[in-house]
Amino acid sequence: MEASRSDDANLSPNRDRRSNPNPTHNPILSSSQIWPTIDGPLGLTEEASVDYARRFYKFGFALLPWLWAVNCFYFWPVLRHSRAFPQIRNHVVRSAIGFSVFTVLLSAWALTFSIGGEQLFGPVWDKLVMYNVADRLGLSGLT
Amino acid sequence: MDRTEQRARSILDTLGEELIGILTPVSICMFTVVLLVCLLNSDPSSPSSASFSSIATAAYSESDSDSPWAKLLGAFLNSLVFVAAITLATFLLVLLFYLRCLNFLKLYMAFSAFVVLANLGGEILILLIDRFRFPIDSVTFLILLFNFSVVGVFAVFMSRFSILITQGYLVVIGVLVAYFFTMLPEWTTWVLLVALAVYDLAAVLLPVGPLRLLVEMAISRDEDIPALVYEARPVIRNHHDSRLVQRRVWREQRPSNSSDDVENNEVVTVVRAEEEVSVSVPLIERSRAEESSETFLEGIGLGSSGAIKLGLGDFIFYSVLVGRAAMYDLMTVYACYLAIIAGLGVTLMLLSVYQKALPALPVSILLGVVFYFLARLFLEVFVVQCSSNLVMF
Repeated sequence: MEASRSDDANLSPNRDRRSNPNPTHNPILSSSQIWPTIDGPLGLTEEASVDYARRFYKFGFALLPWLWAVNCFYFWPVLRHSRAFPQIRNHVVRSAIGFSVFTVLLSAWALTFSIGGEQLFGPVWDKLVMYNVADRLGLSGLT
Repeated sequence: MDRTEQRARSILDTLGEELIGILTPVSICMFTVVLLVCLLNSDPSSPSSASFSSIATAAYSESDSDSPWAKLLGAFLNSLVFVAAITLATFLLVLLFYLRCLNFLKLYMAFSAFVVLANLGGEILILLIDRFRFPIDSVTFLILLFNFSVVGVFAVFMSRFSILITQGYLVVIGVLVAYFFTMLPEWTTWVLLVALAVYDLAAVLLPVGPLRLLVEMAISRDEDIPALVYEARPVIRNHHDSRLVQRRVWREQRPSNSSDDVENNEVVTVVRAEEEVSVSVPLIERSRAEESSETFLEGIGLGSSGAIKLGLGDFIFYSVLVGRAAMYDLMTVYACYLAIIAGLGVTLMLLSVYQKALPALPVSILLGVVFYFLARLFLEVFVVQCSSNLVMF
């Protein structure tokens, strides 16, 4: 099922319950409910969000810090409004911590490698740098 | 209060928002492909025809020493082979969809997205690293590429995901495949584009066309075709009467100051139709398989929420046209870009009139090809003469 289709059932009952006669263009203010995802009313409901946040957090341990970052990005309203959604917030905050730690480690290694260069590593640098590896394995050809 | 507010959102706001929602990613895709072409093809000495062999060059691989007639003939043969392969693959897709092998199709789509992102994406990144001599090490590169591809597969495969990230990944996939198609030989590229435009027209509009069969099956079963389709974010207008679902279906263009009742009725019809689980506006997709047999879609249609859907194949072939124009000069790029956007606008207008699946390739590609040759043969001479005589810069 597509995102654009299956959230109709989510959208109309919420709007019916919380109908607000004041026309504003801010989807967050016009209904008294805060949506947990960054897509607002087009995104997930709260129940599905808990499941998603937990699954993304768990999958991120497979060397996928970008998945943690996507998790934080997607559930950004959860991070902003610190009172709502305690269960989702748990997973999202842990994803954010995991992403920051991994980024620090990876960028430390990458910067050491690129700035240190040959002086720090010696001949190993030439063996590890990507364009040489690609040449050796013939990856930069197109066929 | 409501009336003035309604008039304040003129037709440009609502219509324009939807148009921008589809024109922006197309433009970004084309711009990125032109950028890649300009960055990576800067040495004219590299023989592009020799280094890329695929099903599109299976019948004939161009070499510079052939006569124009031989090149043309060879290009026709190549295009024939390619279109035949695509037709076969599309009929296979229709068969699988008919036999309800949806899980297999979804897995295949995820696998093909992974292959494109990891393989083609990795190769392009390596080319860029090579070109700029960027001192990244292989471990970091592998980790980043792995992350990028796996999250891309999630974005494409999972139905509920961040809209922005899904759209971004679809554009990236389009860019990667388009860049590889620009490496085909020149004559083959142009003849192939025209052939695909004709095939598109036939496959969507003819009653026996595979894509039309696919769309009709999807509509009759009220199911989704699992394929790579770009869907613009549905426009949610905050209606003063908030008891209704704020979705808008693209009907005939009504004047913006239409009465409230008319707009209420329009939105109410949408809501009722969606509640009855009958798709008032069909999910319109057409599918094609690539030479590496991925399920890309072409064609433009309307999602059930009224958002415009454009198949990824359209992104790819628009970008191939513009990328190939970039290999000649930037002047042809501007001409082709404007032609393609004009063609897309015409297609969107036709979509609003006919309200059914339409091929998005023919108008744009034909306009683009015509303008490319006009710019190359006539405009360039004119502008160069003017500039060299200091008449016009």
